[in-house]
Amino acid sequence: MEKTYILDNGLLELYVLGELNANEKAQLESAIIQYPELKLQLDTIEANFEKMAIENAIDAPKEVKSNILNTISKSSTKTVSIAPQKSLRPYLNIAASVAALLFIGSIYMFSQLNNTKKQLQLVEQENKKLNSNIENLNNYLMETNKWYVAINDPDVQKYVLTGNALMPEATVISYVNNEKKSVVINTKYLPKLDDEHDYQMWADVEGEMINMGVIDKNKDMLAMNYIDNAESLNITIEPAGGNDHPTVSQLITNIYLN
Amino acid sequence: MFSVDEQQIYFVKSLTLMSDEKNLIFKLQQKDETALGLIYDKYSSALYGVIIRICKDEDVAKNLLQDTFMTIWEKSESYDVNKGRFYTWAYRIAKNKTLNFLRKSDQLIQVEDLSVYKDRTEEETDKLDYLKLNGTIKRLEPHHQKAIELVYFNGLTHREAHEVMDVPLGTFKSYIKQAIKQLQQSYLKMVTFLMILIEVMR
Repeated sequence: MEKTYILDNGLLELYVLGELNANEKAQLESAIIQYPELKLQLDTIEANFEKMAIENAIDAPKEVKSNILNTISKSSTKTVSIAPQKSLRPYLNIAASVAALLFIGSIYMFSQLNNTKKQLQLVEQENKKLNSNIENLNNYLMETNKWYVAINDPDVQKYVLTGNALMPEATVISYVNNEKKSVVINTKYLPKLDDEHDYQMWADVEGEMINMGVIDKNKDMLAMNYIDNAESLNITIEPAGGNDHPTVSQLITNIYLN
Repeated sequence: MFSVDEQQIYFVKSLTLMSDEKNLIFKLQQKDETALGLIYDKYSSALYGVIIRICKDEDVAKNLLQDTFMTIWEKSESYDVNKGRFYTWAYRIAKNKTLNFLRKSDQLIQVEDLSVYKDRTEEETDKLDYLKLNGTIKRLEPHHQKAIELVYFNGLTHREAHEVMDVPLGTFKSYIKQAIKQLQQSYLKMVTFLMILIEVMR
């Protein structure tokens, strides 16, 4: 539709007044989009008519408005039922997001908790180890102290028993305290025996061999029975558990006491 | 007569309302009942002024206004802001509903017999004093005023109206154009006045 045709025939005015048929209306609408000056002209006509209508407004009876609003809220129960859903939707979305976050959060917290538990277990194990280490060290220290005290007494006499031809590599250091009547020996340098044999220590008192005890295979330092008036210390190899009388042929070392 | 104060108030009001208008109509199209209430407050009296001037019967006009707003509610999504003002769209609904009602009723005969219509219009308008036109339209020359009144407030088509006025259709069309031009100039004067007023106040 030509611009001049529209203007000459007052089609814009007819359009505003609703006098155009559907075909003319469609053509005019596309012409308005095409020509901005037509749109401007249309705006002017509309604005003037609207202004004039408002100047000539007559208030409608009040019940009309309430009638309309009542009819709408009655007839649009469907709309009403949809409306809360619409308005709920963003809240549901938010709630879902929060729930998802909480879920992810709790998974994370749970894994963190498990990690922490594992770490705690490790720490507890370490702690136990350390504690038992300390205990061991304490025991060791106490024992060492005990031996140290026993050995360092001014009344102690030290005798080194060296192996004879039967077992030349054997050495036993013995500490004899006649005042406190104690004998301590260091068996660290005694060769290991098989399970069926033990070393046994004897004191010679006036030609008689008196049992001082079986030497514990698992200890380096050990106290033996003190025998009064011992003239010499002797070590024999005996069947496991010790013997009532020394097997003299199995004597490996002896030393005379002062 | 339209006073300067009223002009000012209307103009400032329309400026501030312009930005809200789009938002309001968008809400209406989302079936927001509050928006319909506000749109009713804004346009009902202008539309009622048109409807009652066409049908000249208060009870009928009430029903037609209600009917018009029901259609505005139901068909709001068919309003396209790019094709013109919301009021124009609502005006066409109101006018069509009123004319359809009159065509269906026995007043049809009277409407079609235009000489009868002409006499009746003048008679009844005189009877119903409050239906007389006010404002800027009263400043127009009588034949321009009459042309606008017939097509806009009486709902006649151009073809009907030019016969009523007994002038050729082309002449009638130019009456309408000139009338709009004069309305425009009258409003422009008001804008100019406002501009001056704003300048002075500064």
